Amino acid sequence: MSMMTNMNANMNENMSKTRLLALLALCVGGPLLFAQDHYVMSLLVASMVIGGIALSWALLGNLGGMISFGHAAFFGVGAYTSAVLSMKFGVPVLVALLLGGVGALVAALAMLPVLRLRGPYFALAILAYAHIFRILATEWTSMTGGSGGLSNIPPLPTLLGLDLSSKSGAYFVILSIVLVFAVIYARLRESHYGLALRAMHESEDATRVVGVNSVVLKGMMLLLSAFMCGVVGAFNAHYISFLEPDYAFSALWVTIPIVAAIFGGYRSITGPVVGAVVVYLLDQLVFKNIIPSGHQLVLGGLLVAMIVFSPDGLLPLLRKLFKGKFTRSKHAAT
Amino acid sequence: MSELILQALYSGLLQGGSYALIALGLALVFGAMRVINLAQGELVLLSAYIAYSVESGLGLNPVLAIPIALVVVCLTSALVYFVVGRIKKDREINSLILTYGIGVILTNGMLLVWKADIRSTSSEWMQEAFVLGPFYSMRSEVLFFGVSLLMMAGLWWWLSRSWYGRAVRAVSSNRDAAKLMGINPGYTELVSFIVAGILAAFAGVALFSYGVISPAYGGVLTVKAFIITVLAGVGSIPGVLIGAVLLGVAEALTVTLASSALQELAGMGLFLLVLFIMPNGLFGVRGRRG
Repeated sequence: MSMMTNMNANMNENMSKTRLLALLALCVGGPLLFAQDHYVMSLLVASMVIGGIALSWALLGNLGGMISFGHAAFFGVGAYTSAVLSMKFGVPVLVALLLGGVGALVAALAMLPVLRLRGPYFALAILAYAHIFRILATEWTSMTGGSGGLSNIPPLPTLLGLDLSSKSGAYFVILSIVLVFAVIYARLRESHYGLALRAMHESEDATRVVGVNSVVLKGMMLLLSAFMCGVVGAFNAHYISFLEPDYAFSALWVTIPIVAAIFGGYRSITGPVVGAVVVYLLDQLVFKNIIPSGHQLVLGGLLVAMIVFSPDGLLPLLRKLFKGKFTRSKHAAT
Repeated sequence: MSELILQALYSGLLQGGSYALIALGLALVFGAMRVINLAQGELVLLSAYIAYSVESGLGLNPVLAIPIALVVVCLTSALVYFVVGRIKKDREINSLILTYGIGVILTNGMLLVWKADIRSTSSEWMQEAFVLGPFYSMRSEVLFFGVSLLMMAGLWWWLSRSWYGRAVRAVSSNRDAAKLMGINPGYTELVSFIVAGILAAFAGVALFSYGVISPAYGGVLTVKAFIITVLAGVGSIPGVLIGAVLLGVAEALTVTLASSALQELAGMGLFLLVLFIMPNGLFGVRGRRG
């Protein structure tokens, strides 16, 4: 019996591995077909940017149990840090990307006092923080160029003969970033920390009693999430070579990732990224054509519908449906 | 200089009146249902835009928009309640995401209907100067400060004296005991959303009468309302009024002494200060810290 379950577990693992490999092949191979089509490639890059933010948002929500409406702050701070470092201090772009993440992490350090606050208060406090950073970026004109913004931000370099500033080059950069984050996320979830965090999700007080410092753990999740989001913001800054406060700190960088993460299921790792691609493409190709100026209206509607009808995401819902059929047929066989 | 500062204090005080209405709406719903309505600022803005339409479309004084705004905003608020009520699990987290989504819908709906332009009143009656001793303000500011005080007095009476108000308080302090006393919590929750809608309707018309509005402003209003509740603690109406006046004064002083671009930063600064020094708010409330 135990062997059976073992085999089952192995099979499940194998299946999820093959599925993951298939997904990876799709991510790498698919775009190669469109490598010459700039429009398709730019859509894919943008959707992976959203996917990266959604992943960092979901990490905070899933492991840290915190809902953030302030990820635009991390995105914007990461973008500005990297852009300013590479423009004014001559830091190489690929190093600046990482330092952008560090910048966002430092911004998150300033948010740590907010961890004193419980659920809804935390969410609102982090929303307030995002406003602070936008105002700072607008007012600190000597560094950030103020509301006029920064232009001619150095593009991604050419590495080993591969022009990373081209659309397909940029796609592979952002894809690798998101993949690395996904691996870190997966490792973390399987580690002791992940276990403690999951236990914390059940009962924070009980985990504290057995000696887990829940505030430190939550703080670490906030910093990690901020770092990830900052690197994605930095990538985006070098990719489009232009920044202004209203763009870098736009509420869009919060809304679409949240919709994506909820749509794909924020408790899984692939969910937010797949959700991002689906939601972003839907938004750009369908909604934007129907309602050009207020197309986010549909995203809001989607979010409301998801929370009411299937808060764990569309993928888990579908999976449950298919699994139901699968197990039923197995029962019929035995 | 001291005159300028006094004038700033006075403007801040007047501004605090309508801030208090928004914050009370947020606090009331939170008390009754443990739900933060992130769309509260958008409800206020909706009312402001209705006032704009009444003024520009029908050529009437924005004050006359109040009845229409009341109906529309209260219905919208009730609708928010019904959607929030359909959440099945993890209500604390999911209601945040849900009301955030409703906020996005409202913001973009307003963007579609009223466009992204900045609007303000053109009513001369509203903009006429009102002089009170050494202090200057617009007529609308004084008018709506008075209205806010009346609303707060009414709310206080309602919460402490009327049956429904006491039911709302009973549910917010002990849900199960209130049920045993024959109170239907669902009903008091709906009532609290509708009262929050009434407050938002008045605050919105006030906002349009003395300020400028644009579709993206709703989120800022929600944040301000939240800052006030952090300053005050959710408990008492006078506490919220004091918190709101503090925020209004901090903003007005920043505008006078520094620049208007930093106006919003003042509130944030105040918020951080309180968070660091007095994490339980100026008037102490339990249960907010993790």
